[in-house]
Amino acid sequence: MNYQEGQNHSFLEATARERANLLVDEGSFTELLGPQDRMTSPHLPALGEAVSFDDGVVTGVGRIGTRPVFLISQEGRFIGGAVGEVHGAKMAGIFRLALEAYEAAAKAHPDNLDLYRPAVVISFETGGVRLHEANAGLLAHAEVMDLIQDTKGKLPVISLIGSKVGCFGGMGFVAAATDAIIMSPQGRLGLTGPEVIEQEMGKEEFDASDKSLISRTTGGKHKYIMRDCNILVEDKVADFRRALCELLAQPYEKVCACRRIGSYELVKEQMDLVALAAELNPGDAKDVWRYYGNEHPEQLPELETAEFLRVVHRRPKEVR
Amino acid sequence: MALQHLEFSYPGIPGASIPDQWFHSGVVGSGDMEVLLTRKEQQGKVTVKVCTPVRGFEQVWDKVLERFVLESGCGDLELEINDNNATPFVVGLRLRQALQDARGGELA
Amino acid sequence: MESMIGRGRDAISMIVDPDSFTENRVGEAQVPEGYGPGAVVGTASLNGRPVTILANDAQAVNPRFPVVYFGVIGMEEAYKMASAVYESILADRDKPVGEKRPLLLIVDTPGNGPGKVEEIFGMNKATGAYQLALAEARKAGHAVIAMVIGRAISGAFLCHGLQADHILALPKECGTMIHVMPLTSISRITKMDIERLEELSQESPVFAAGVDFFYRLGGVEEIVPAPEGMRDALARHVELVEALKREGHYEQTGPWSRGALGAERGGRTTRPEVLRRMAEEFAAVSSSYLA
Repeated sequence: MNYQEGQNHSFLEATARERANLLVDEGSFTELLGPQDRMTSPHLPALGEAVSFDDGVVTGVGRIGTRPVFLISQEGRFIGGAVGEVHGAKMAGIFRLALEAYEAAAKAHPDNLDLYRPAVVISFETGGVRLHEANAGLLAHAEVMDLIQDTKGKLPVISLIGSKVGCFGGMGFVAAATDAIIMSPQGRLGLTGPEVIEQEMGKEEFDASDKSLISRTTGGKHKYIMRDCNILVEDKVADFRRALCELLAQPYEKVCACRRIGSYELVKEQMDLVALAAELNPGDAKDVWRYYGNEHPEQLPELETAEFLRVVHRRPKEVR
Repeated sequence: MALQHLEFSYPGIPGASIPDQWFHSGVVGSGDMEVLLTRKEQQGKVTVKVCTPVRGFEQVWDKVLERFVLESGCGDLELEINDNNATPFVVGLRLRQALQDARGGELA
Repeated sequence: MESMIGRGRDAISMIVDPDSFTENRVGEAQVPEGYGPGAVVGTASLNGRPVTILANDAQAVNPRFPVVYFGVIGMEEAYKMASAVYESILADRDKPVGEKRPLLLIVDTPGNGPGKVEEIFGMNKATGAYQLALAEARKAGHAVIAMVIGRAISGAFLCHGLQADHILALPKECGTMIHVMPLTSISRITKMDIERLEELSQESPVFAAGVDFFYRLGGVEEIVPAPEGMRDALARHVELVEALKREGHYEQTGPWSRGALGAERGGRTTRPEVLRRMAEEFAAVSSSYLA
């Protein structure tokens, strides 16, 4: 597949390596700790589980315009994109390199840093911790959260969510902690997987096999209405890339303004939202959509993305 | 229970390797596999290492691999395969794709 | 040995100076009574110094969010804890490192709120917000120490515990549980015999449930032999962490330091190799990316 063809492909169907190559400028991607390093999981063989040379995540560096872009791209086909020791260390490694690159850029270009400021881009496709090496995966999540805090005030971290597995478990809050989130309507973002909610609340309250319910609760359109997704795009590689490039063309402060958590002020805003949750006690996400002024919420899931963006009412910044 | 490691070797065509030092293809999804092809000057030999959770199919692997080497006309290569329950049909398909892409210089 | 499961409030009294705990008050802020009842926040003193307390209350149920009981951290709970952290940072913003109030996390939680309303409004943000607040406090120079007294399960432990500078735990004889999933569930999902998994977990601490395995992975700094020892151990670790921070050794505290500890104790030996090789490979191409 060549670069131009690849841009027209579905983001949902693209492999992690395709996404990594196609999101940055043509030919600019260098994979770090790629398959030729054969860095497979040391823990899976004893459990009789298949291994992969990249441990389910493609990591590397590319360019968008003048800026270095440090990429993490998860592969959902390999054990659901779950995070084990190697996978987690590769994520942490990318953040470390990006932070070092920031220091270098800040020194070399103090006057026009925005032109050279590195970025971290995560193309999520994961259910969180990999059970087969659960403890190592858990510790890696904490490291990534710590490193995200280190990036604050220095470089943007951008989440792309539009792959089959979605972004759940611990990686759900990792995504929430990043600066900006780009999703397609097919993207899924949450903390607790549908099966666990069903187990907790009963099938009458939450039927994990109901695909449209899952979509209404965790999908890109819902997250866009709630302002938990900043930019909603079509399920096309080129559309994700365009949104990413446009976002990175903004001054850093503009990207930071996309955050939903990460300061006392934002926590207070979220607390207002939680008060609203208690008050509305919605039986379905549609109740919240209606509350925010969408008169025919049942029609929203069916709309084409462009039409949806034209007619939808989102939550106002002041929550109510 | 642990993963199974298998090794095979076939006579191939000297010089019929791939243009780059190495080439990678595939994803270790369920019922799928990845392969890493490496140039190796070894009198045309094609050596193969397979890592798989499935036991007791050495002869099937041998047949599929032998046929691939013969039909594709490759040589001076090492193949390293991580398998996750791929069928013989899928294995053959993935290997042919990988070699074709490696020779065509396509984007991974 | 005495179990502390479900006794977060008892643990607070065992740890802080007698009668020094003021609930719901941190810095200038007063948390409304009854808000986020599954979490206990407030100010106490430890050897005469003010400390912020963040604990779970396993006896409480949240009337507004019914999935919050038994120590579950729901949306209100997580934001209540995050607010207490930000108030602590604000209150001591002009104090030097070493004089900023320590944050003590008393950990006994089985999970984050697993409900439909939680997903609609974004439970992932709530737990993420608390973690970012803790990381900010740590980097601002506060000593953040976690004491696992009961259950520290998966995402809830990430939320409330794993962002600390140092993590201490009572031994398994006290009923302490640290894991992502019990071995029985791992056995069901991976379709492996429980006996075989138990055998394997002796060789590798990476998937097994238990305090000792987390110790070997560097996830727990120290196992405190009995509940009576909690107070002194916490005070000692506050001093240790503050000493490191005064010297600027922030990387020897917090999640990053647990990576080094995990390698040292033989539990996570591949991680450093991954980091080293990535840095090496980037160095080889960096000139074409860093203008």
